[in-house]
Amino acid sequence: MNAEFFAFSLFSVFAIGGAVFFLNAIRVMHMALSLAFTFFSLAGIYLLLQAEFLAVVQVLVYAGGISILMIFGIMLTKPEESGASKSFQLHQWLSLIVVTGFFLVIMLIIYQNPIFAPTVKVYSPSVQSIGTTLFKDYAIPFELASILLLVALIGAIVLARKEQK
Amino acid sequence: MNTLLLYLGPVILLLIVLGFVTYAILAERKVIGWIQGRIGPNQVGPWGLLQTVADIVKLLIKEDTIPKNADKTLFKLSPIIAFVPAFVVLAVMPFSSQIQFTDIGVGLLYYMAISSITTIGILIGGWASNNKYALLGGMRSAAQMISYEIPLVMSVVGIVLTVGSLNLNDIVEAQQKTWFIFPQIIGFVVFIISSVSELNRTPFDLPEAESELVAGYHVEYSGFRFAFFMLAEYVYIFAMSSLTTVLFLGGWNAPFGFTFLPGIVWFIIKFSVVVFFLYWVRATMPRIRVDQLMQFAWKVLLPVALANIILTTLLKEVPFLTHYY
Repeated sequence: MNAEFFAFSLFSVFAIGGAVFFLNAIRVMHMALSLAFTFFSLAGIYLLLQAEFLAVVQVLVYAGGISILMIFGIMLTKPEESGASKSFQLHQWLSLIVVTGFFLVIMLIIYQNPIFAPTVKVYSPSVQSIGTTLFKDYAIPFELASILLLVALIGAIVLARKEQK
Repeated sequence: MNTLLLYLGPVILLLIVLGFVTYAILAERKVIGWIQGRIGPNQVGPWGLLQTVADIVKLLIKEDTIPKNADKTLFKLSPIIAFVPAFVVLAVMPFSSQIQFTDIGVGLLYYMAISSITTIGILIGGWASNNKYALLGGMRSAAQMISYEIPLVMSVVGIVLTVGSLNLNDIVEAQQKTWFIFPQIIGFVVFIISSVSELNRTPFDLPEAESELVAGYHVEYSGFRFAFFMLAEYVYIFAMSSLTTVLFLGGWNAPFGFTFLPGIVWFIIKFSVVVFFLYWVRATMPRIRVDQLMQFAWKVLLPVALANIILTTLLKEVPFLTHYY
């Protein structure tokens, strides 16, 4: 058992544990915090895969930005929550079926893909090469994604201003 | 020997940081005292040298109180969440050409990412106290930290463009001829203002304006949990001053070729100048109003930082200036 395997087990247990806590927590704040914990553990797994840039961006955007925004929004809700409602039995079974189906499809794709075959050790791509690939080979998808985000941003502002009036 | 150093190194760094915090607090009170025509602490120990030690002992032996209606787990967890990132960011800091713990390619981004985790600790602390002053204080504090983080990151993009790397070692190497404070003076001004605000210090100390508000997010904390929040704040002063030195003041590089002093000594000298500057600002400036605070970040600092990025990219193409950009 080398250090890499130990770290991988630790991070994956943390990630899954955070997700289980997220599902079982009663208070919304605990949910948000365990979600942040899962995001952070995923960053650790990225780091083990030698994707430094992706790991750091995961911490910056998900564990830092999105979690803080969620906690910020939740903070002003009432701390005492009512217990989980029991009226959605059918809904829960439907969700289970859909989620299992999705899981099977994803697993099928992963196992069919040649990526899964054990390869020689890949060294981490530098930030420069990520930048070059993103802005030279995939410039149009990148710009489209940024326009989409910009539209969402402007839309949020428009909605917020409408509420003020 | 090397393995031993690998395990002992962080412990030594922690002791150095704790020693720094102890005497930085004393130095701050002394310097501000002198600037304001007072003597400063001079009762405990010779020349007041044991004042902070006495304060820490007082905090440690205080009763550990937890409010009855607080969320006890999160209340206990939040000082830890606030403190740990403050120390973890030091892992990538190149103190000299030899003294550095890890040399990862995205060091600068790592600092910015990890330091944003502290905001979660502050928010959780304010929420878990179950006190409306703590809650509002936490929200104000988080809003300020989020708003000023953006100009902080944007102001260093100019350096990243110039060096072509996010690695802190590469950034220091690139400053052997010219420190970035000269070509990146606009970026430096934005950076220093945002960093003072990130550190919650005067003139941006609205989260804990002692003379106007109750203490903000840590109003319910006492004893060593309160000490942890304060410790996190001062460790961030250590980290932020180191980062300023590395990014703008040339890190361990000796100025004018004065290489008779080793790199680490130059680092400490520049670092001390930055820390002194923070005290100086605190003693001089009045606190700004809360409505001016957000406007200043979004309407002044952010456009200036963006303009600096555009200016850097333009000047990079001017033939006789490529030496500096």
